[in-house]
Amino acid sequence: MLATENPTPHTDMANRLDTAVSEVFEMMLERSCDPMDGDVNIVDGRIVARIQFTGAVSGECILYASPATAAVTAEALLGTASSEPADPMVDDAIGELCNMIAGGWKSKLEHPQAGCLISVPAVTREGLGALEGKFGTKFSRTYSFQGNVFGIVLAF
Amino acid sequence: MRALIIDDSAVMRKVIERALRQAGLDLTEVVQASNGQEALQALRDDSGKPNPLSLILSDINMPVMDGLQFLEQRRDEKLGVGIPVVMITTEGSEPLVLRAISAGAMGYICKPFTAEQVKARVVPLLRVA
Repeated sequence: MLATENPTPHTDMANRLDTAVSEVFEMMLERSCDPMDGDVNIVDGRIVARIQFTGAVSGECILYASPATAAVTAEALLGTASSEPADPMVDDAIGELCNMIAGGWKSKLEHPQAGCLISVPAVTREGLGALEGKFGTKFSRTYSFQGNVFGIVLAF
Repeated sequence: MRALIIDDSAVMRKVIERALRQAGLDLTEVVQASNGQEALQALRDDSGKPNPLSLILSDINMPVMDGLQFLEQRRDEKLGVGIPVVMITTEGSEPLVLRAISAGAMGYICKPFTAEQVKARVVPLLRVA
């Protein structure tokens, strides 16, 4: 299971992440997306995308969602009528969403952290075991758009 | 007009194509490449065609060959000379922007983007070219 505790509440980190998420949804999906209280209750069948930060920042950005939420996200991004949850384009869309949010968050950091490098997205439906415990500090946030919920974890 | 879109995400290639059409570009063909190496081959294949490519849009962060390596190799091989290249990427740090421009990029768009931003960056380049 993915750790979702917030050991050190960090207003700046939350504000940067909220802004990055909002920008991506408004500009690319033409939808509003708002932070929520609590965690995402998705244990089984979730799609997980990961972007790694290296250089001035060492860590990762993980985005996770149910296949149904991921399919709705892909539809909104592509402007298409329907996407099946098993469609490979759904995984691709979740990877790109994570990529843009991680890039937006990074761009809001101060120098020299803003100069860190980001990886290409890795997307899996194989669970979260390999992701757990790699970094010590985790910051989690939950978001909702049109009733669809997803989670983001920043880990360092 | 014909355009080459380079991005490892098929979703993003579709999104960029849609933004170009929303910007009013009359696209007759979109050539797609998922990394810089495929894009270089596309330019080699396109050489000498009667209706050459008019525009290249490229991501930076890609497996196999990234967008900056593509720009540098394209310049060294003198491929697609005169075709404007616009980078569309999440990587907006100043050193990367400067490296892209010095390697031949004529425009830079950060993801996320709007169709209006794409229009504002791309259309003036097509008028010049």
